[in-house]
Amino acid sequence: MAQQKKDKLSNIPKAELVKQLKRQWVLIVWSIFFVAYGLLFYYAPLVGWLMGFQQYKPKDGILHSKWIGLAKFKSLFSDATYLGVIRNTLAMGVINLIATTIMAILFAILLNEIVGVKKKKVVQTISYLPHFLSWIIVTGILHDALSGSGIVNELLLKFHIVPQAINFFAHEEYFWPIVAFANVWKETGWNAIIYLAAITAIDPSLYEAAAIDGAGRWDKIRYVTIPGIKSTIIILLIMNVGNVLNAGFEIQYLLGNGLVQRVSQTIDIYVLKWGISQMDYSLGTAAGIFKSAVSIVLILICNEVAKRHGEERLF
Amino acid sequence: MKKRVISMLLATLMVGGALAGCSKGNAGGGATASEDGGSAGDGKVKEFTAFFSVPHAEINDDNEIQQIIAEKTGAKVKETWLTGQTAEEAVGTLIAGGEYPDFVDAGDGSVQMYEAGALVALDDYLDSGNYPNIKEFFTDQEWDSLRQSDGKIYWIPQFSNIYGEERVCAHNDEAFWIQTRVLKEAGYPKVETMDEYFALIEDYYEKHPTMEDGTPIIPYTILCEDWRYFCLENAPQFLDGYPNDGSVIVDTDTMKIVDYNTTDTAVKYFKKLNEEYKKGIVDKESFTQTYDEYIAKLSTGCVLGMIDQWWDFAYTAGDALKAAGLDKQGCQYVPLPITIDKGMKNQWHNSGGIVHTSSGLAITTSCKDVEGALKFVDDLLSQEIMDLRFWGVKDVDYQVGEDGMYSKTQEMRDNDADTAYKASHKCEYAYFPQWEGTSRDGKNAMKPEQQETEFYDGLSDDLKECFNAYGVKTYVEMLGTTPAPGPWYPMYTFSQTMTTATPGGTAWRSMEDCKHQYLPKVVMADDFEAGWKEYMDAYNACKPEDFLSEMQTELDRRVAEAAKYEN
Repeated sequence: MAQQKKDKLSNIPKAELVKQLKRQWVLIVWSIFFVAYGLLFYYAPLVGWLMGFQQYKPKDGILHSKWIGLAKFKSLFSDATYLGVIRNTLAMGVINLIATTIMAILFAILLNEIVGVKKKKVVQTISYLPHFLSWIIVTGILHDALSGSGIVNELLLKFHIVPQAINFFAHEEYFWPIVAFANVWKETGWNAIIYLAAITAIDPSLYEAAAIDGAGRWDKIRYVTIPGIKSTIIILLIMNVGNVLNAGFEIQYLLGNGLVQRVSQTIDIYVLKWGISQMDYSLGTAAGIFKSAVSIVLILICNEVAKRHGEERLF
Repeated sequence: MKKRVISMLLATLMVGGALAGCSKGNAGGGATASEDGGSAGDGKVKEFTAFFSVPHAEINDDNEIQQIIAEKTGAKVKETWLTGQTAEEAVGTLIAGGEYPDFVDAGDGSVQMYEAGALVALDDYLDSGNYPNIKEFFTDQEWDSLRQSDGKIYWIPQFSNIYGEERVCAHNDEAFWIQTRVLKEAGYPKVETMDEYFALIEDYYEKHPTMEDGTPIIPYTILCEDWRYFCLENAPQFLDGYPNDGSVIVDTDTMKIVDYNTTDTAVKYFKKLNEEYKKGIVDKESFTQTYDEYIAKLSTGCVLGMIDQWWDFAYTAGDALKAAGLDKQGCQYVPLPITIDKGMKNQWHNSGGIVHTSSGLAITTSCKDVEGALKFVDDLLSQEIMDLRFWGVKDVDYQVGEDGMYSKTQEMRDNDADTAYKASHKCEYAYFPQWEGTSRDGKNAMKPEQQETEFYDGLSDDLKECFNAYGVKTYVEMLGTTPAPGPWYPMYTFSQTMTTATPGGTAWRSMEDCKHQYLPKVVMADDFEAGWKEYMDAYNACKPEDFLSEMQTELDRRVAEAAKYEN
């Protein structure tokens, strides 16, 4: 599709092009703002990437710091901690992506099945409120709820499921599930909005036809609703895969402790710890560059897979 | 479709809100000395900004004593404290941004601030003779010890500086603390070792598993969050009878650096904690609790004992205990002189001032009025302003007896423990240079908590009873005092300045990382020996020898440096 578009553009005669531009000048003026915004906030900061190839000293600045080539990248990849950090980031990113996507779709479908408009609105509004809480509040609630005398342990003890209170934050194996749970709790309602919108866009005559063919509720979901939002799901997945390495910073930073640091640290925390705290800005930048590179590769792969399967894709 | 539009709108609004928040924050942090409309009678009040890389209670904008000081000195400082970040992160962000407040205490990041060219050299100003109070603050030798690699002085350490005779009552440092009721129950026994200490706690816990109001008692808890994990980590040096060199032990016989992480004492200490953990005496949440949760626990009075620095809990949990009337239940803490074996000399408390050369109050290149800023610091050290900062307003916060001695009524003492009153009335400029010891009048102490009579009169009945039982009058006497061991002391002022630029600094960071992870594991291990071995393998992989050899070099340098002044 991209190829076709390009051909079309170059096939248009010049006079025609000018005419079209004139007709669309309002749109073009408006888009300038957004292009400028993107250049300023997404591309201009990339100049800072130069620091990753320097022994950066704040006193000398980017212009006068010593160039050291790929030395910082080498020391990154010889650091076992960094490799562990990449693993944690990928693992939590993937778990979060899968968990939040599935929950959001399920929730949207369930919500769609609610008949009363008012009830639906109330449920939806309540469900996306947690999205507006900051992580510091969410982690505070989690910390209290999962503490030795918190509600979770109280319930477990009351129903004699466990003999004594579990210290959830002291065990490495609980950390990823806790993070995934927190993400699901916070974002399900919000993420469901877009799927709900996609569902409402499905042609009602399809449901009618299905009903005439004798489809029940369950069949309608299976044969109409899910295929109807498939393209939305895939587009969102592709876009979110690029974000997998943004597995989070606040939640791991706020919930982590010495005991679980082996599985809790993400690339962002590593950058903060060695880049900002130890003021090795070059190392931090190198770690960040690597993260961006991996993200781009992930998007390309995902896009290619979608293309192979004849689905919607980004480019 | 409609919903999508709405969500887009909402998203746009949120981004807008976030941006607005950012720009606001920047404006606040980057503000520099601006001349404020003349509010004080004859002159204008200069306004400075300051950032301190430690958390601290904020004071109100219309604070009364701050206003009085502004009228007397013609300047005031808007102080900002660390919130929600570590000190290193805050300083790293400041340097990356390149805009600074007028005053800064960057803590461990001070050297980095200097290397980034963010600080103003103070030498010429100090030599001008315009700031006698600052000049008087240190001896020439002490000033020289503050010189950086370019031979200039960039910061003024604020604390532990004694004017005249030393006056200490509170033990402002680390110790094993225990609630007075535990000692009372056992008839105030002599406690010298960890075994005795934990035996006391176990006995008390067995008889009283809950507080008077039914709250379950936590026999012993360990604060372990982030940099505050010293509560777990550095006890072996004290248990061996050495003072708080912080990162290493200095063997005074051989003048060699000793690593306290691997001594036999360290093994015994962690083994004891491991045993107590299995017995259920050590709080199961020790290693996952945050500092706030720890203080909250201490404030309810349900924690019988812990190891900590006085300043880390006394001003928060200590005040809360008093405010809740828990001092009447014997929930206040006293320190115990504990060592690994009986009859050893302990150095939990050292007398004499210490120049913490690694950090202090500095003036940044963003300050437009360095002379005015230094003048303000100079004024803060005058006796009149020192009294205002720490004693408060005469006849409001303290009274003067016929003999010229300051004292407080009970109401004044209660005010001192009231956070709302402190925020609206008291202004200590707590991270500006300050004197300890005896006032320039030769009678009173510089600070009320060092005034012996006032200190003792202000104690709760339980504390008085406890002190009387041990035949002492102050916290310090509970431990005994030894002078600081030598001019190199303390070594942590060097390890704090280490960065990953040297192999030793890198090893130091790795060791800290390793200890953060493994020390809790060792304490919680089912099989201590196996856990310890695993820890030691990980620890040795951090190359501690790199760190130790750099510490040895610094020790030798400091000893040689001090020798120059002896002739």
